Amino acid sequence: MIMEETKKKILEYDALVVGGGIAGGESALNLANLGYQVLLVEKDLTIGGKMIMLSKVFPTLDCAACITTPKVSEIARHKNITILTGAEVKKINKLGEHRFEVDVLQKPRYVHVADCTGCQLCEDVCPVSVSDQYQYGMVGRKAAYIPFSIASPRAAAIDIENCTLCGACERACPTKCIDFTQTEEEYLVKARSVVVATGFNLFDPLKIPRYGYGRFKNIITSMQMERQLAPTRPFNTILRPGDGKLPDNIAYVLCTGSRDKSVGNPICSQVCCMYSIKQAQLLMGALPMADITIYYLHIRAFGKGFNEFYAQAQDMGVEFIKGKVGKISEKENGNLILRYEDIEAGVVKEAEHDMVVLSVGILPNQGIADVFENEKLELDPFNFVQQSDMLASPAKTSIDGVFVAGTASGPMDIPDSILSGGAASAETTSYLRRGTL
Amino acid sequence: MALGNVTSSPKILVFSTEKISDPAIDMAGLLKLHYPPTVYTLPVPCSSAIKPRWILHALEQGFDGVFIAADGTDCPYGESCTEKTGAIVSMTQQMMKEKGMDPARLKMAAICSVCSEPFVRHVKSFTEYLSKPSN
Amino acid sequence: MNKKIGVYICHCGGNISDYVDVEKVRQSVESEAGVLLSKTTLFACADSNQQEMVDDIKDQHLDGIVVASCSPKLHLLTFRAVAERAGLNKYNYVHANIREQGSWAHSDNKPGATEKAIKLVKSAIAKVRNAEALEPVKVESVKAVAVIGAGVAGMRAAIELAEAGSEVFLIEREFFVGGRVSQWDDLCITPETGKELVTRLYDEVMKHKHVTLFTGAELAEYSGSVGNFSLKVKVTPRHFKLQCDPGALKKAIEVCPVEVPDEFNFNITMRKAIYHNYPSEYPQLPAIDMKNCTRCGACEKVCDSIDLSQKEEIINLKVGSVLVATGFDPYEPKPGEFGYGEMDNVVTLPQFKRIVHYCVDKLTYKGKEIKNIAYIYCVGSRQVDGENKYCSRYCCTSNIHTAITVKKKYKNIHNFHFNRGIRTYGKAEVWYDESSRLGDIYLQSFEHDPPVVENRNGQTIVKIKDVLTADKELEVVADLVVLVTGMVPRKDNSIGSLLKIPRGRDKFFNEIHMKLRPVETVIDGVTIAGAGQGPKNIMESMNSALAAATKSFSLVASGALELEPTVAKVDTSACSWCGKCEEACPFSAIDRVGQNGNSIAHVNASVCKGCGMCLPVCPENALDLIGLSDVDMESMIDALIPNI
Repeated sequence: MIMEETKKKILEYDALVVGGGIAGGESALNLANLGYQVLLVEKDLTIGGKMIMLSKVFPTLDCAACITTPKVSEIARHKNITILTGAEVKKINKLGEHRFEVDVLQKPRYVHVADCTGCQLCEDVCPVSVSDQYQYGMVGRKAAYIPFSIASPRAAAIDIENCTLCGACERACPTKCIDFTQTEEEYLVKARSVVVATGFNLFDPLKIPRYGYGRFKNIITSMQMERQLAPTRPFNTILRPGDGKLPDNIAYVLCTGSRDKSVGNPICSQVCCMYSIKQAQLLMGALPMADITIYYLHIRAFGKGFNEFYAQAQDMGVEFIKGKVGKISEKENGNLILRYEDIEAGVVKEAEHDMVVLSVGILPNQGIADVFENEKLELDPFNFVQQSDMLASPAKTSIDGVFVAGTASGPMDIPDSILSGGAASAETTSYLRRGTL
Repeated sequence: MALGNVTSSPKILVFSTEKISDPAIDMAGLLKLHYPPTVYTLPVPCSSAIKPRWILHALEQGFDGVFIAADGTDCPYGESCTEKTGAIVSMTQQMMKEKGMDPARLKMAAICSVCSEPFVRHVKSFTEYLSKPSN
Repeated sequence: MNKKIGVYICHCGGNISDYVDVEKVRQSVESEAGVLLSKTTLFACADSNQQEMVDDIKDQHLDGIVVASCSPKLHLLTFRAVAERAGLNKYNYVHANIREQGSWAHSDNKPGATEKAIKLVKSAIAKVRNAEALEPVKVESVKAVAVIGAGVAGMRAAIELAEAGSEVFLIEREFFVGGRVSQWDDLCITPETGKELVTRLYDEVMKHKHVTLFTGAELAEYSGSVGNFSLKVKVTPRHFKLQCDPGALKKAIEVCPVEVPDEFNFNITMRKAIYHNYPSEYPQLPAIDMKNCTRCGACEKVCDSIDLSQKEEIINLKVGSVLVATGFDPYEPKPGEFGYGEMDNVVTLPQFKRIVHYCVDKLTYKGKEIKNIAYIYCVGSRQVDGENKYCSRYCCTSNIHTAITVKKKYKNIHNFHFNRGIRTYGKAEVWYDESSRLGDIYLQSFEHDPPVVENRNGQTIVKIKDVLTADKELEVVADLVVLVTGMVPRKDNSIGSLLKIPRGRDKFFNEIHMKLRPVETVIDGVTIAGAGQGPKNIMESMNSALAAATKSFSLVASGALELEPTVAKVDTSACSWCGKCEEACPFSAIDRVGQNGNSIAHVNASVCKGCGMCLPVCPENALDLIGLSDVDMESMIDALIPNI
C-alpha cells in the first residue's frame, strides 16, 4: 500500500528499511512474509532502484524489468509493507535495544497517487520541458511527468522546481488528482530495527577531464547506454547523441573511476567488466554491422557463468584490447581518437571510434552515516558501510539492530545483492526475536 | 506475409516435463538456439504421466510427430521414470502399428534440465525425418 | 457453462513484440469462444497492468484469464496472485509461454513465431474454458530443518534457523566440523584464522539447545516432500567414549601402528588411524578411521576411552525442509599437469597453505629452503580443453593474500605470479596493490598459451610468453611451484543424487533462478547454500547460507503449508481395482478401499505429488490428474492443429 496524506504522526514498525532497490526490497519482502510490519523509505519517486532501469542482466540475459517489476509489484501490494516514496530519513536515534526513533521527511508529489490513473494527459499539456533524469539526460521530460512506464507507483509527479504553475495539468487531469496545496510531511517513526539498503552512486566521469565527457558529444556513460538498450528506452534504436547517427564502431573504456587512486577510488567496482560485455553482446544483436572494442586492464568475469559469458562475447567477435586509455580527443566529424597503451604490444597507440562508452564504477552513497545521531554507523576505508563481522555475519554493522543489505556495503552484482538482502532479513529476524523472548 | 513455408513444415507436439525438460526448452529460447516454430510444447508434471490416448489423439488429429522430452534419470519423482516412460512409448508404438501408423512418428529422448542443445538437435532431426516424402 | 475470458498478450518490452506480432495475435484470438476481452500490454507483470487486470476481472466479471508472456517458471505465481486479488480462483488462470518458447526460440522466423504464439494462446484459452476452481491441499509442516554439511555455511545456517525458532539437525559426514575453512590459517580481510572462525561458529551451534549436531553422519535415505521429509541418517561411531584422558590418548596414538596420508593436510603429512586433525579441534574428541584400522587392539590396551565395539546407528528424522551446504573440493591436478606428481617441488595452493602453517620461521619443503616461489594461476579453472570453463572466483585473492603472508612471515621470499589476468574484484583490489608494492612480480599469459614447467639440470624452470612485456619469453628458476587450484564440485555427489538436485553446466548445484530464487532448487523444500552452488568466498557463502536459512525457515515457520491441488483423482465408477496404479505410485499415495462391496483405488491427496505416473497404467482409464484431464489435454492439442 502507498501512504499519503497523513498528518504528522507517529508510526510504529518492526523494521525500517532505508532504500527501495532490489536489496532493500528483498529484505522487506522476507520480513513482511514472516509477519513483521515493515516501513520502506525511498528517496526516489519509484521503488526498484537502479535495477529497474537496466536492459538485460548478465550472464543469463534475462530482461531486468521482467525480474524487477513483479518483485516491485509484490512489495507494493504486500499488506505488511508500507512504502514512502519521495521520502528521506533525516535522523536516527537509538534509544535502546529494539528502540529506534527515526525522523522521515516526505516531499510533496503534488499528486494524489491513489487517484492517478497514469493516463499521461498532464504530460501532454505541460508546457515545460527539462532533462529527464530517468533517461540520464538523453531526452527531455515535462515538469508534470510519470517517471517511466514501469515505475511503481506508476503515478504522475510535479517537478515543482521547474513548474511554472500554469495550471494546465490541473485542468487536464480527468480524476482531479493534482493538488498544488500539498506540503511536506514529517513522520516520527518508532522502529524496532533498521536495514540500510541505500545502494550506490555512479562515478561522475566529469572528474576525469582528459576523457572529455561532457565536452565531446559522442561519449556517453555505460548507464546511458544501458538506457538506450532497455525496453523503456528513450529512442527506439541505438544512436550517438552528437548527430543521431547509428554508430558502427563503439569503444568501451573500462575502469572509468575504478581502480584509480587519482580519483580517490582504489577498488574494483566488480560489475563494469560484466555489464560492458553484456552491452557489447546486446549491441551486436541491435547493430549487427557494428564493431565493438573493449579496452580493459583485467576482465573480472568471476561469478557463476561469467567466464563462459566472456568467452561467448569473444566468440561473437567483440574485440578485447588489454590497455589503459590515457586520453580521448574529438575529430571534426564527431568521431573520437583514443590514445592508449597497448600492453600486449608494449607501445602507445591511437584508435578512432565513432562512439565511446565510459564504463563508470560504483561509489558509496555516503549520506546515511550522517543521519545516525547518538551512535556511530562506521564506514570502511572506502566509505561504504562497515561490516562489523564480515565473515560470520556479513549484514551486521557497528550498531546492534542496524543491518546492511546490498551495495551499501560495497560493490556487488545483482545476485550477490539479493543474497545480501536475504542475509540482512535473516539477521533482522533473529534480532527482532531476541527482543520478544 | 506468406506463411506457406511455416505451415508446410511438419508439426511436432512435444510433451515436456515441468521441472526437468521444460526448463531446458526455455533455455534453448534464452540462448536463441533456433528450431522450427512448428514444434509445440505442452508441459506435463512427469513424462511417465503421458497417456497413450493423448499421443494417438495428437497424431490422428493432425500432428506429424510426437516427441517425448523425458525426465530420464533426473526425474524428481523417482528412478523408475525412465523405464515407465519407455513402457508408455513401446505400448503406444504397438497401438500405432495396429492402426497402420509409422511407429517412428513417436520419439522419446531424455532431456535434462540444461540439455537445450540436445533438445534442438532432436527436434531438428525429427523434423527432417518427418519431412521426407516417404513419411 | 460459457466462461467470460480475458486474454492479455505481453510485449515484454520488445522481448516478445520484436519477433511476434502481438497485435495480430490479439486479433486472431479475440473472437475465440468465451473471449470477452483481449489486450496487449507493454509489461504484463508491471504493477499497473496487474491492477488493470484486477479491475477488468472485477468490472467485467471475468471467470477465466490467460496471460501470454514469458515462461511460467517466472510469472505463473505472479498472475495466479492477480486472480486471487480480484477474487477469482487462481486455477482459472492459464499461462502461455510465448517468449522462451516463442519469440526467443524463433527470433529467426517472425511469421513462424507469430503463428506459434497464436496457437499457444488458443491452446491456453481452450484449457481455461475447462478450468475449475480448486482449493489447495493443506498439510502440516514439521518445524524442523536438516542442514547437510557443517562447514562454515552449514553451521551459520543452523544458528540462524535455531534463532528464528526452528529445530535443526546439523549433519556432517566427517568426524569434525568446519569443512574447508578449518584448513586455512589467516583469512583475508579480517585478522581471524579459519580455526578461530570455526571455533566461534561451533560454540554458537553448541549453545543452541535446538541444534543437534551429528558427526560421522551421512544421509542414507530420504522420502516425503516439502513440509514432511523423512530422513534416515547413518551415524558411524568414533569408537571413543565421551570422556578421554589426554595422556592416554597421546599414548594410544603413539602405539597405533597404522600410518596413512593425512587428508586434512592434503597428503603432505602422515597420520595414524587414531587421529584428530589439529589440537583443540571440534568436537574435541578424536576418532578412529576404521577404513584403515587393523583392529590390532594396541590402542585399547593403553587408553580406556577407546571402545572398538561401538556400532553404526541409524537415526530417523522428520523435517520440513532440507538445506544443503556440502561445499566444494579443491581441484586435483592431473598427473603431469604443470609437473604435478612428477616433480617433487610442485604443490597445490591448499597444500602450500598447510606447508606455510607448519613452517615457523623458515619456509622449507622436503628439506629444502624455499626462496623463489612461482604461482601458476587458474589450474583447473577457465580450462581451454578441460571441462571446467568457469572461473573459481576466490583463488586470485586467496593466493595473493597467501603470497603476502609468506613474504611477511619469512625472509628472502620472491613471489612470481604466473597469471591469466588477476581477478581481485571489489575491495580485494587492495591486496593486489599491496603485493605489487611489496615487489611481487606478475607475469601474464592467456588461456591458449599457458606457462610451462620444466626440469633443466636439476632446476625447476617456469617459462612464459609474458603479455605484460610485449610477449617476451621469460623464465623463472623456482624452488617451489604452487598451482593455484580452483574449486570443483564435490567428487562424491551422493547427496545431490539422493535428493535429485539438478546440476548446472559447471556441475555445481543449480538454483531455480539466479536472481529471483537463488537459494531454492526445483525440489520443493530443498535449499542450497555455500560453495556447493558455485565458487564463493567466505562472506559470499555466509550471505547465501543466511538467505537459504530464511527460505527454509519460511517453509516451516507456520507449521502448515498449502500444496498444489493438482493431484490424481479416481473415477470411482470406472475403477475395478487391479492394483496397477498402486504399483506405479512412487509415493505410496494410493490405497485399496471398499465401496459398495467392491474394491476401488483411493488417492491420498496430501501424499500425492501429482506426478501422474498412475495415469497411463490404468487399463480402465479411471485416473486423471486434476487440471490435466483428457478433456483438458485433448482440447489443448486440438487448438494447436489447424493451419492458419
